Amino acid sequence: MTVMTPAIEMKDVLVRFQGKTVLNRFSMQLFPGEKVVLTGDSGLGKSTVLRCILGFVVPDEGRICIQGQELSTGTVWTLRRLLAYVPQEPELGNGTLEEWFKAPFSYRANLGLRKNLDRLPELLQSFALPRDLLRKEVSTLSGGEKQRAALIAAFLLDRKMFLLDEPTSALDRNNTNNVLEFLSKVPDASILAVSHERTFLEIADRIIELCPAGEDHAR
Amino acid sequence: MHAEDIDMLALAGYYALLVIPFGMMLWLRIPIIGKTLVAVIRMTAQLLFVGFYLQVVFRLDNPWLNTLWLAVMLAVADLSIIRGCSLKLRRFIFPLFIALFAGTAVPLFAFVGPLLSRPGLMDAQYVIPIGGMILGNCLRADIIGIRHFYEAIKNREKSFLHALAQGARLGEATRPFLRDACQAALLPTVATMATIGLVALPGMMTGVILGGADPMTAIKYQIAIMIAIFTGTAITVILAILMSVKSSFTWYGTLDPHAFRQ
Repeated sequence: MTVMTPAIEMKDVLVRFQGKTVLNRFSMQLFPGEKVVLTGDSGLGKSTVLRCILGFVVPDEGRICIQGQELSTGTVWTLRRLLAYVPQEPELGNGTLEEWFKAPFSYRANLGLRKNLDRLPELLQSFALPRDLLRKEVSTLSGGEKQRAALIAAFLLDRKMFLLDEPTSALDRNNTNNVLEFLSKVPDASILAVSHERTFLEIADRIIELCPAGEDHAR
Repeated sequence: MHAEDIDMLALAGYYALLVIPFGMMLWLRIPIIGKTLVAVIRMTAQLLFVGFYLQVVFRLDNPWLNTLWLAVMLAVADLSIIRGCSLKLRRFIFPLFIALFAGTAVPLFAFVGPLLSRPGLMDAQYVIPIGGMILGNCLRADIIGIRHFYEAIKNREKSFLHALAQGARLGEATRPFLRDACQAALLPTVATMATIGLVALPGMMTGVILGGADPMTAIKYQIAIMIAIFTGTAITVILAILMSVKSSFTWYGTLDPHAFRQ
């Protein structure tokens, strides 16, 4: 029997901020193709879990592996390229939406993916965003439009592991369903999402509930 | 034709004019009277000290002494930037010194060398005042640029981290912030160049005219000094930010809180 390597693994991760324990020896595994939702009251470190995986928060103890490789100063820049991240209330900066979509393709790591921009019209349609939105200043977009734009940007980068932080919190029911339908159709996608949405929980293969004592319950 | 000397007693009497701004501050209860008083005392003490020192420097006109004077000015400017931007001394003192040195030296030596064709590059009469003007502007530009750069990254942290998550290297993720910071640092010089001569007669030109030179000579000096200042500020601000980045981010690409004083 072969043992499947987890897409993402966190083992005994301890994070403290200014003397306060945010994550207390948290462990989890996300397997390829799996959809896992992290839930729990606010302030329990759900977003910190995603930020740890991205290397934005360095754990005081414990280890994080992505596709079997330990996250460290030497590997973080390569491993980040395997992850697609949609932050909670994304900040898109300045310029038009079209410029914002194009920006990541000017990074050396994504130069070979430029052709993916051809999928932009189709993705805009899937997420019910009008095409003329591309000419709009990103600062004028609504919260829901920004969230869907961030999701589209994640899909354009052709990554297989998605870290989604409350990706549908600003969307109405129709748009939430659109997003979930799309996510469920992405082949081989491993998804780790922070969400409280019931509909999101319904499509999850597993739910991990973060508890204050650090005793996390998997369902 | 030489500038009329100012009698020391008459200059002391001229301080009486300060009654007007101090009176205004008292009347409006502007809470910077103590600070202003200290600034006036410091200005007087610093300029008198520099005046006495420069008399010696000009009399000796020794290239080594002039170099030492420039080095001291660079070190003082370096410390002012570190204090003004709340940076940690040990991490930033060397990279910022290099940025200030490059921003001052390139336009200064192009001024004294090819432009004025002076036989000695380190003549006190040219190197010290022109170097001082360029350095003063480099100092201001660096403070504006560095503060703007790090404050923008802190304020727009989400957008910065999102760029890293999308595969940007540190240089790529900081590029938009570098562009904005350089623009903020260069804009005051651009605005000065656009209005110079119309709104105010600049200090350098006034000095040259008071020194007895022809106004056209003064204008040529002013044009050259504006080019020197603009070039110097552009060189120093980009170098200062780029060289500080190495000391202010972690190996994971996030801003290192230990790089800044609380």
